[in-house]
Amino acid sequence: MSQPTGVIHDIGYQRYTGPRLGRRPIVGALYVHGLRAAFGLGRSAKAKVFPWLIVGVVAVVAAVLTALRARTGQALVGYAEFTEMLSMLIIFFCAVVAPELVSRDLHNGVLPLYFARPLRRQDYALARLAALVSATFLLLAGPMTVMFVGAAFSVDRLGAVWDELGDYLVGLGYAAVHAVVFGVLALLVASLLRRRAVAAGAIVGSFLLTTPVVGVLMVLPYERATQLAGLASPVTLVGGLGDWAFEPGGEAEIGGYGPLYALTTLGFVVAGVLLLLARYRKVASK
Amino acid sequence: MTLIATQSLTKTYGNGVTALADLTVGIEPGIVGLVGANGAGKSTFIKIVLGLLSPTSGQVRVLGLDPTVDGRQVRARVGYMPEHDCLPPDLSAAEFVTHMARMSGLPKTTARERASEALRHVGLYEERYRQVGGYSTGMKQRVKLAQALVHDPDLLLLDEPTNGLDPAGRDAMLGLVERIGTEFGISVLVCSHLLGEVERICDAVVAIDGGRLLRSALLSDMTAATEVLTVEVSEGTDELAARLAAANLPVRRDGRLLLVPLADETTYDLILTAVAELDLPLHRLDQRRHRVAELFATGPVASGEPPAALAGAGATEGGIR
Amino acid sequence: MTNVELSGVSRWYGNVVAVNNVTMSLGPGVTGLLGPNGAGKTTLLHMMAGFLAPSRGTVTLDGEPTWRNPAVYRRLGLVTEREAAYDFLTAYEFVLASARLHRLPQPEAAARRVLDLVELTSAEDRRIGTYSKGMRQRARVAAALVHDPEVLLLDEPFNGMDPRQRMHMMDLLHSLGDAGRTILFSSHILEEVEQVSGTVQVIVSGRLAASGDFRTIRRLMTNRPHVFAIRSTDDRRLAVALMAEPSVNGVELDRDGLTVRAGDYGSFTRALPKIALASGIRVRRLLPSDESLESVFSYLVEA
Repeated sequence: MSQPTGVIHDIGYQRYTGPRLGRRPIVGALYVHGLRAAFGLGRSAKAKVFPWLIVGVVAVVAAVLTALRARTGQALVGYAEFTEMLSMLIIFFCAVVAPELVSRDLHNGVLPLYFARPLRRQDYALARLAALVSATFLLLAGPMTVMFVGAAFSVDRLGAVWDELGDYLVGLGYAAVHAVVFGVLALLVASLLRRRAVAAGAIVGSFLLTTPVVGVLMVLPYERATQLAGLASPVTLVGGLGDWAFEPGGEAEIGGYGPLYALTTLGFVVAGVLLLLARYRKVASK
Repeated sequence: MTLIATQSLTKTYGNGVTALADLTVGIEPGIVGLVGANGAGKSTFIKIVLGLLSPTSGQVRVLGLDPTVDGRQVRARVGYMPEHDCLPPDLSAAEFVTHMARMSGLPKTTARERASEALRHVGLYEERYRQVGGYSTGMKQRVKLAQALVHDPDLLLLDEPTNGLDPAGRDAMLGLVERIGTEFGISVLVCSHLLGEVERICDAVVAIDGGRLLRSALLSDMTAATEVLTVEVSEGTDELAARLAAANLPVRRDGRLLLVPLADETTYDLILTAVAELDLPLHRLDQRRHRVAELFATGPVASGEPPAALAGAGATEGGIR
Repeated sequence: MTNVELSGVSRWYGNVVAVNNVTMSLGPGVTGLLGPNGAGKTTLLHMMAGFLAPSRGTVTLDGEPTWRNPAVYRRLGLVTEREAAYDFLTAYEFVLASARLHRLPQPEAAARRVLDLVELTSAEDRRIGTYSKGMRQRARVAAALVHDPEVLLLDEPFNGMDPRQRMHMMDLLHSLGDAGRTILFSSHILEEVEQVSGTVQVIVSGRLAASGDFRTIRRLMTNRPHVFAIRSTDDRRLAVALMAEPSVNGVELDRDGLTVRAGDYGSFTRALPKIALASGIRVRRLLPSDESLESVFSYLVEA
């Protein structure tokens, strides 16, 4: 005969003795969290609407271009031009995603919780920036990959595939430059504003603010003015850099100022990142 | 081990406001109340403990570490519950606390499990899968506590944990803090303006005023019994006062209470006899205790500071915001 | 002498009944308005102040309705819970603006007077944006008091205040009440309500659950035994002696002494001294365990 047995399990508070990960895995988790949040993953359905709307439009454009190319055998738009053509959509994407990543945390008062955790102050800003840049890059790289695969199947020679791959990789590089420049500016603006709608408007505004300057410089009857006009606005700045570095033969519009465009772009990004870090240093100590 | 130890800790902000001035204090494990006027330097103190601000001069050690150098190691072992709202309304409590656990360095699956446990320990069950935006103030406070607790810290910093709670909510929160300090074995530093709360849950009290240490003592010392008996009868207070006076007891009146110096044990008998003879309902008879509130009732004058310190504290109040 | 009378007052928002058939009378002195979150305290205060129309019933101030009656504003002040954002004004400008709105004959003098009353004179020329919570609160109280109203209504006036500011606000309410004004303030901090005023109005889910002196209210709860903690020179013998007393329902003995549950408050509290004296036991401590406002309130909310 077996004895009846009984046991009460201890489900009281248990101390944790398992591993505690270091800074890198934490920042990695924050990055992945941001990247998912950029596309509304793990968020409400409402948060998914805008990013996926833009993803949808970009995908449709890519699909149409791929289909046309398959039919005509002629590439209507190159990879670099594809990115430039969509620059307005990229701005909208950043305007939707950057506030979602940082303004929201500011508005909800979550930041002190991050700063009270084993991260460095800069880590939050950099992980958020990396998430926004990656998301923006993916927005472009995804459809470009579709275009590349479509093109690779439609050419007849193996050599042409190699040429296409070269163009594709250069196109990815150009998309990455866009993602970095646009991402830095958008995140910096969003980090200053706690209301998402206001931040979104301010981001679009910050990209468009100086376009009249470009316009005025363009119509001046001096060649140098027109060639340097692009420096005045982020969109044309990256465009100028692209003309020099990514589009063979595109240098006509900027003359010999290609390296200046490249340096200015670099300076713009570095300044933006430094300002962003300074911004969060201030928030953390407040 | 001393939980937090500071030596001549001073913090002066760029605009010349001195938030902490030569603060030397040792805080031992247990539940410790941090009390002081608005702008007394409590928030500066917390930020220095978390390694988010560097002191202008002086030393600080938290759990044996120097937060100005090893801020991340300190923060890995400290949990912080801020006073203000800090919850995203569109996430569920489970998602949010899991994310915060990962931000403290817990691996993915562990983070999920411990988040679920932390929420259970603070008293959130089915609700944890609903969006935080729909929670009551009391539930939100619990989520804030859970995110501070999820990585099993050695020290919890709670800033006004009962803010906005109604009496039942306050009672539950205080019970929770008490359990964390005793059952869970986690030390707690709790900032509160409500001295009654501090008296209820704390083992020790640190009072700062104008950035300086006003007093650091065990609660039992701060609420020590005095040699005065308080007597309360539900009716006939005046009669009783007269009768006690007639019995040569130097009785004083304080509102509903009668205060009688405790000369020796016979004082009890004299009072009881007087009450019995007058046939009065005896409501209370006890040695009067000191209260934490006495620290503030008399103001800085009692601590030997000139009254000007009060004006100084007022100026700091504005400066820190 | 100013009386605020509520008669059969209800207020609903759609299907949500915030205040349900409340009849209440407030006279001079300080009264605490208590209730759990969402019980309807704020709605009630706003109706008293004439900011909100009752859905049913009437709110009157000395017989005059408060709703749609601007004359009432001259006699009444309200300090709301939400912090109004006048950060760009100094306390003096803010209070002066309030004085001008009331068309006081000497607004400057009135503003200075109330700022002195709330002890903000030393800071009156600083912008409110630089104030601590307690100072802002006092500035708002000053603005509500500038026209010297007979009735002052305050919603959570102690919120965010530090210990010294709390004591100061308590003293202020006390002195205003002693001066014959009718003061009603809501608060969650029952110890403070107990210190400021023993007179309370308790709202539970929109209903008025109890009003009056909380000690009297406690006596009316005859179904709740009164619990006392006792320490004496011989607890065990005292326990035996007390069990013989009809008013005692039960006695518990532990390390800290005796816990006595008494059915009849009056009989027990009268009998205890006599029993102790007769048995030659010295009572060193008698503490009521559930007579505080805190316990009275929780009994009312639970019931």
